[in-house]
Amino acid sequence: MAAQAQEEMQVHTLPVFFSTRTLYSLPSQKFMIPASWKRYQLSQLVNKALALSNPVPFDFILRKTGELLRDSLQEWCHATGVGMEETLEIEYVESLLPPSRLAGIPHNDWVSDVSLGIQGHFVTTSYDGLVRVFDSSQILVHALSGHTGPVTSISVLSGSQNSDEIILASSSHDATARLASYNTETRTSQALASLHLHSSPVSSISSSSSGTHLLTAGWDSLIGVWDTRLPSFDEVALPSADEGKSRKRRRVVDGDDTASSKRKAPLSVLKIHTSRITAALFSPTDEKKAYSASLDSSIRKWDIEVGICLHSQIVAEAPFIALAHLSAPDILAASSTDRTVRIFDTRTFTSKPSSLTSSAPIVLQHASTPASLSASPTNSHHVASGGYDGVVRIWDIRSTKGAIASFRAGEGADPEKRGDGKVLGLDWRDGVMAVGGEAGLDIWRVPENAEEVL
Amino acid sequence: MVGISTNGTKKRKHVTKDAEQRQEISEDVGLEMQSEDESEGSVKNSEDEDEEEAEEFPGIDSGSDTESEGDEEDEEDEESEEDELDEGSGSDDSLHVFPHAKTIKSGITGRPKKVYPEIEPDYDSDTSTEDDPNRIGNVPVHWYDDLPHIGYDMNGKKVFRPAKGDELDKFLKTIEDPSAWTSGFDKSLQIDRPLTSEELDIIQRLYKNENPDAGYDPYEPTIEWFTGKGKQEIMPLSAAPEPKRRWVPSKWEKQKVMKIVRAIRQGRIVPNKPKTATPQFYNIWSEPSADHPPPLPAPKPRLPTNAESYNPPEEYLPTEDERKQWEETDKEDRERDFLPQKYSSLRLVPAYDQFIQERFSRQLDLYLAPRIQRKRLDMNPDDLIPKLPSPSSLKPFPNYRALRFRHDGDAAVRCVSISSDGAWVASGDERGIVSLWEVLVGREVKRWKFDSQIGAIQWCPQTDVSYFVVGVEDHVHFLIPPNLSPNVLSATLNVLSPATLPPTPSTPSPVRWSSTSSGNFDSSSSFPIISLDFPPSSGLVKQIVWHKRGDYVASVSGKDQGAVWIHQVTRRHSQAPFKKVKGSVQLVLFHPSKPYFFVATQRYVRIYDLAAQKLLKALTPGLKWISSMDIHPSGDHLIVGGYDRKLCWFDLELSNKPYKVLRYHTRAIRSLSFHPTYPLFASSSDDGTVQVFHARVYSDMMTDPLVVPLKILREHEVKNGLGVLQICWCPGQPWLVSAAADGSVGVWCA
Repeated sequence: MAAQAQEEMQVHTLPVFFSTRTLYSLPSQKFMIPASWKRYQLSQLVNKALALSNPVPFDFILRKTGELLRDSLQEWCHATGVGMEETLEIEYVESLLPPSRLAGIPHNDWVSDVSLGIQGHFVTTSYDGLVRVFDSSQILVHALSGHTGPVTSISVLSGSQNSDEIILASSSHDATARLASYNTETRTSQALASLHLHSSPVSSISSSSSGTHLLTAGWDSLIGVWDTRLPSFDEVALPSADEGKSRKRRRVVDGDDTASSKRKAPLSVLKIHTSRITAALFSPTDEKKAYSASLDSSIRKWDIEVGICLHSQIVAEAPFIALAHLSAPDILAASSTDRTVRIFDTRTFTSKPSSLTSSAPIVLQHASTPASLSASPTNSHHVASGGYDGVVRIWDIRSTKGAIASFRAGEGADPEKRGDGKVLGLDWRDGVMAVGGEAGLDIWRVPENAEEVL
Repeated sequence: MVGISTNGTKKRKHVTKDAEQRQEISEDVGLEMQSEDESEGSVKNSEDEDEEEAEEFPGIDSGSDTESEGDEEDEEDEESEEDELDEGSGSDDSLHVFPHAKTIKSGITGRPKKVYPEIEPDYDSDTSTEDDPNRIGNVPVHWYDDLPHIGYDMNGKKVFRPAKGDELDKFLKTIEDPSAWTSGFDKSLQIDRPLTSEELDIIQRLYKNENPDAGYDPYEPTIEWFTGKGKQEIMPLSAAPEPKRRWVPSKWEKQKVMKIVRAIRQGRIVPNKPKTATPQFYNIWSEPSADHPPPLPAPKPRLPTNAESYNPPEEYLPTEDERKQWEETDKEDRERDFLPQKYSSLRLVPAYDQFIQERFSRQLDLYLAPRIQRKRLDMNPDDLIPKLPSPSSLKPFPNYRALRFRHDGDAAVRCVSISSDGAWVASGDERGIVSLWEVLVGREVKRWKFDSQIGAIQWCPQTDVSYFVVGVEDHVHFLIPPNLSPNVLSATLNVLSPATLPPTPSTPSPVRWSSTSSGNFDSSSSFPIISLDFPPSSGLVKQIVWHKRGDYVASVSGKDQGAVWIHQVTRRHSQAPFKKVKGSVQLVLFHPSKPYFFVATQRYVRIYDLAAQKLLKALTPGLKWISSMDIHPSGDHLIVGGYDRKLCWFDLELSNKPYKVLRYHTRAIRSLSFHPTYPLFASSSDDGTVQVFHARVYSDMMTDPLVVPLKILREHEVKNGLGVLQICWCPGQPWLVSAAADGSVGVWCA
């Protein structure tokens, strides 16, 4: 009897309908798959069916729950209570190979942001007020000073990438942002301008994809829109009230390399938020659009040319702290202090992106506050989040139940200095992820998949 | 003796009456009667004998013949008994129990008077000298029971026990001796002695309820001494004037009567009130009482079954084994308390031996039987728990620790404060280090080092300036955070070190204000911009409280006798609001909107009106030692926590007593805080937990405040018996910052 039942179970098959957005698409038909099959068998099936010369590993997402298949199909059916006769829709994606740690660069102070914007270099900003540039062999090439407070954010102006002169924009607690040029050949830097708008610390700075415009977000709930034209004179007068003090500061600054920097005023100021703005960034496709996230639990979409707010997305009691635009168009990821990362479609501003046929709003639950986000440069469904627990998680937004990969950054750092190992800055570019945080800078290799067809 | 005699007399009278009737009959019938008597003589011999004896038993005739004569007279006269008695008494002249009085005519008054014979004081006049042969005195006679004698006579000779016959002799004696039934047993001589006629006479008189003295005449003619002609009393017996009370109505009587009248008027006494007599015994089951539901009928006894029949069917009869088993089991364990038995006829059924037992147990059953149907209160214990909304519906509230800020060396963090814009936290530890760090990232931006333990830290609540005050030992320092924007910095400097210092007050204060001028101030330096020096040995500043407008700051310093100071920043002046405070001040607090000042001593919270300079209220929380308090932003509610683990919620408009007393911490409460905007409050304790509550206060005065426990935050460790020492809410966000003795400051996010 038992043997018979076992036999029945063994021969039991499930009707499965496969779909994919990768290049490796199967003919759309129903397959009868044995219930005991796991990811490996399914992946082999796809490989054999397409007769691929180089085997490509696949991951399988069950559309019903948005889970990655980890056990056998039968166990999944048992756990979710899906009947054996029901047709399963399974989407397969190329597997993400496990990330591997490349190197770690210890810092004396906390790293607040990292950027991989300069080819072959790592740019970090730190709470000691310096912007550091490391080359690919992890040697400190240059340190830019200029800020009188901790530097919070860095942006490499993308338009200047190919030439030797690279313009770096950094924001700081001293209520200013600064533009500086860095020459990769001579390894020198020159302060270009200081951006004066905010009256309290500037939390983030970002540049448009063409590198012509900048956005700064401040704690005083203002967003400054700037161009990158260098001013020839001080557009903003020094505050007269504390002349003596600023003169003194000027004296200090004079000795530094910021002598030629001019005080620059914003093009326009966007003001609607009611609380501290934590992030502001340009839409990668449309330079006239921008998004901002704030602690007042809202995400706003702006038209920069006109200077109006196009849309306000208010989520109850979710103070947003980080923002990232996925490489797919019109999909935004925002993390908040309620330990979630929410995915928004910026056209409809619902939590159900229309390009995805998901039924539930996409909310990625974390174990700790995800303080930093970075979208995958190539895969339109992948986003990485770095939390206060020191863990970087890589998510596929089709699989909301759990991260598809995660690693703990800063393992090699001095445990005394490491503290909780909070991850404060992430940048993911060209298969390399730079993780900046309490433990310094960590560099990881995260393999990327081929472009997917949406 | 009396009983015997009465029986005797009755019998005698009865017999005599019978005899009379018989004689009458015999007189009527004549010879026939005689013959009949004779014919029946043999059968009724005994009766005849009795009758004869009865006739021969002439009452008291043993002493005198007069009695029998009287009887004979009765027979003849057929008179009533009373007459007979009268005659009997009249004929008792010969009795000498009492000395007989002679009636003689008085020589003085001329009236007859009784003269008793003189008592001769000779030997016979005293009964103690009566000739009693046995002289043993008043000792128990049974002492002589074993001896042949019963005592001694006057000469010391033994008095021997008289011969005593057996029962038969006694019986015969009663028959033969006519005086046997009128004799009594003399204990001293151990013989029966016939009563004397005097004694018999006394007995008879006592029996008739008469005076035992035969010579006493109750019906003597009255002698009118003072009435009649010439016998009136002319002169009063005394010369005293007639007292007033004889003719004035009695006041006492009037009082008594009026008391009754009053009682009647008031209805306390109801005249002619019908008496409702409840019978002593009545059926408690029968009458329904007025105030109770009618009693249940008495439970019916169980009806007998076939087994209890005297002639049960065969299958009910126990077998030998069953009988044996029944006998072996204990009485209370038996299935039934009898064994079925079979009798061929009802006649053969013996008396039921268990009858009394069964009645008794039935009475017990009735005694314990329920007499009323009691409605059972069908209550679910869960219903007693008040219906509280679920915590998930009361979001947001802090529920996880987003980050942790560690002080060097895990020094216990005593105090923490958040700036008014909710961005910066200042925390001070026991080693004198004040750290300034970001709420959201937890990164320290500046550190101040002082010599000694930090007692209190508080940010100025004004939004346009940014500075905080730190209490260290007997100093209060004003510190400015770094990286301020020029506008804020200049505003702050304007407040703290204006170009023109205010004039020194006329009455110098013992608190000394010293400052660095704004020109010398450098935001990167770690010197305080203003320092207040309290008089020496005034102790550690343990609490600092700002007034909401940010001009006044109050401080409590000292260990035992807390010294309260109120400092005004713009005038640079400190004053002590109280000359003398009862008790040691623990905490002070400003009312958020009114000029009220709360002062918590060890046991009481007093509310002072600062404008009117007077005490408004004194609250009694009932705590042994107040550790913390905070006021609701509306200003109408106050929470007070104590080292004895209790938290008291006061509705200030309601009462001086707590509206609610909560005890949920397992150790002393250390800090309490209301959120400035969200309906939340939190309490921290030495048990290492922070408990977050939803506290909604309604403005309509009718609805009670709603307090719902939301979350227990448990990440802190207890170190040296100290837990979470101070908590502080982040303005604008439902975030909580908690400073603990384990050297960490936690930020709890929603």
